[in-house]
Parts: sequence; structure tokens; C-alpha cells
Amino acid sequence: MGKERILIEEQKRELAALEAELAAGGLTAERLRAGATRLAAGTGRVIQDLLYLQTNRSSPASQVIGMLLIEDGVTSEGGLDADQWPYQTVLEAMRDGWRVVSFPNMALVALNHDDVHGLEFEFILERWR
Amino acid sequence: MRPSKAKTYDCPPTLTDLEVLEFCRSGYLMCEAVVEEEVNQRTVEFLDADTHYEPSAILAEDWFVETVLMNPVAAGAVRSLLGSGFHLPVLMSNHRVQCPIADTGGWHVDGNYDFKLELNYLQVFYYPQDTPVEMGPTQVLPGSHLIHNKSRFMSHYGGLRGQVPSTAPAGSIFITAYHIWHRRGPSTATGLRNMLKYFYWRTSPPRRDWVVDADLDFATLDYSTPVNGLLEQFRGDIKVAELFLWLCGQRESFQNLGGQSWPLPGNRTDRPYGFPAELNRG
Repeated sequence: MGKERILIEEQKRELAALEAELAAGGLTAERLRAGATRLAAGTGRVIQDLLYLQTNRSSPASQVIGMLLIEDGVTSEGGLDADQWPYQTVLEAMRDGWRVVSFPNMALVALNHDDVHGLEFEFILERWR
Repeated sequence: MRPSKAKTYDCPPTLTDLEVLEFCRSGYLMCEAVVEEEVNQRTVEFLDADTHYEPSAILAEDWFVETVLMNPVAAGAVRSLLGSGFHLPVLMSNHRVQCPIADTGGWHVDGNYDFKLELNYLQVFYYPQDTPVEMGPTQVLPGSHLIHNKSRFMSHYGGLRGQVPSTAPAGSIFITAYHIWHRRGPSTATGLRNMLKYFYWRTSPPRRDWVVDADLDFATLDYSTPVNGLLEQFRGDIKVAELFLWLCGQRESFQNLGGQSWPLPGNRTDRPYGFPAELNRG
């Protein structure tokens, strides 16, 4: 899951074509501008992936204790062994191209030990493709 | 021994102090392969004939009551946790599913829960068939009975660090604290899976009348839980100690004087500050 994941397939093909033309010595300024326009436009159809990460502290550097991934509209959760999950911290997911869209809201976390509190610290991240 | 007309039952307790404490810490206990294979097969045959999700008629079958509900190992554990004269189940549920099922049942606590540091009823599962992980046995999050949550707040939870599948051979009985977080695990094998679920209730006040170790030192017991990392530091130890003392019938002795006092763990030079001395005279 590298940075390429944020490119949709059509963008990847356009980029590969430009690289091939450059390598062959045939890339013109006009062709480069046209390619860049297409790269920026994409196809107009993008899909949002979501990643729920619950952590044991409020910091994005703290250990992930729960995860749910929604990719292409399909949920998955990384298996029984948490040490094998793709991200052990929220920071690792951010470094992999995920964008945090929701942070734990301390105002909503119960202050009384005996109140309902669940897993308390939850980050929601997104990625478009 | 026979059940009373009031559907209560008594039998010798089987759990030791440390086993009762372990239940307080984890919220579950697995009694592996304690029911004979002949009974397991008879149960599956009964459930093939009565496919209702609540096949409560099985509770009227003497062979089932005597060998499963009053199973010496499982009922002995229930007797240890719920005291003498506990009430027998009056409703039977069957989580009968056709495997494989790729998704999970979703984390939840069952309805009508009452979050208290008390143990007044138990939710019990009986596996009449081998239930390896491929057959999607119930998963639990050990220690989560100590974390208050609502089912409707949990439906977006996926993998949870520390989750455990209750894989078990046929004839196993899985005893849980009611509000432990649990769900049906995903299954990959093909076949019908039966899993019976039923309840026992306490009818007598809690007392330390299980298999008692006279030399048990309450001051140095390990009260930590598998979910210590999900709670404020030492909060799990405090909850477990309070629950254990409640089960011992000594909740009035519980006290938490803060900081490094009992029941927190530590390498101390003396008895823990705040330790209720009367506990070791029990």
C-alpha cells in the first residue's frame, strides 16, 4: 500500500505513457501539458475507502487496539493476531497515504470511570481512488 | 442430586480461589470436552429434529438436564461462581448456522445487561460438536466485561487486539460473564454448527464457599486484567479486586485509598497501604 494507491487506474496508465514517451525521447511540451491535464482530471469517478482505528491513548502515535477497513465497499479487519495488522499506529497509516477525517473528541469521552466508554479513542481515516 | 421443584440446584463447588479470581479477570471459563460423546450426538440429533432457534423443549429431557445442565465440572464451576442453590436455565437458544459465513456477527453485549461489579447470572454455551476456528466459534474480548459499552455503539468495531475465538472440542461448555463483548466468528468450513446458549442465576448471597486456600494472601494477589491497556492505569486491577471481594461476600471491606495503595501491584517493602487486614482472616 504505497503512495501509488492514491492514483486511480486511468491515471496510472497516463503516467506510464508519459514516462515511456520521455524515455523514448518523444515527449513534447504540448504532449506533457495534455497528459498533466488528464492526470489532474482523472475519470471523475472515485471511490472512498475508510479506515477505523481505535487506539489506547489519544495520540496518533499510540497503539492501535481495534481496526476496520472498508475498501471498495467491502469490510475487512486484519485477522485475529493484532500484531499482524497493517498499521500498529495511526501515524503508520498516515505515512501510507491515509488522511485523518475524524479525531477522538475529548469532549465526548466520559470522565467517570463507570460511565459507558467503550474504546474511547477512535480515528477515522479516508483514502480516495 | 436432582433439581428442586423450584428449578434450583446444588452440587459441590469445583473452582479454587485462584480460578474464581481468574474468572473475575477474564470474564470467561472454558470447560473442555466435559460432556460425553454419546450425549453430544444425542443433542445434535435432537437439534436436527427441533430446528427452532429456541429449542427449549430440550430442557425437559432428563438425559440433557443431568449430563449437560448439571454436568459435574460445569455445574461445579457455576456453583462456585453463583453460590449454592443456583437457578437452572428455563430457556434454551441455539445459534445454529450453516457455515461458511464470511462475515462476523458483530461485536455486542447481549440485551438487558446490568453493568455492576457483581456476578448474579452467567451466560453459558454448550458445543455439542467440534468447533474449530473454521466453524466460527464465538469470539470474546477477554476482560471486556469490565468495560461498559452499548451494543449500538459497537457495530463498527472490527478486529480487536486480544480477541479470542472459543475454539473447543465437542462436549465443551463455555461459561461467561453476561456483559462480556462477544460475536460470532467468521467461518470457512462447510457444515451445520449448533451452539446452545442458556442461563443460570444466583439465588443466594455471595460467599467464599468454593475450594478455599486457607493460605491465600489477598494482599499480593494479581488483580490485573487482559484489558488493562484499554483502561486508565490500574483501573482494571481495582475493578477485579472489588468484584472478587464481592464474590467473597466481603465487599464492605473493599477500599481504595489512592496512589500506590492496595490493590495496586508493586514491589513493596511492607504490606500494601490500605490493605483491609480482615481479608486474610476469612
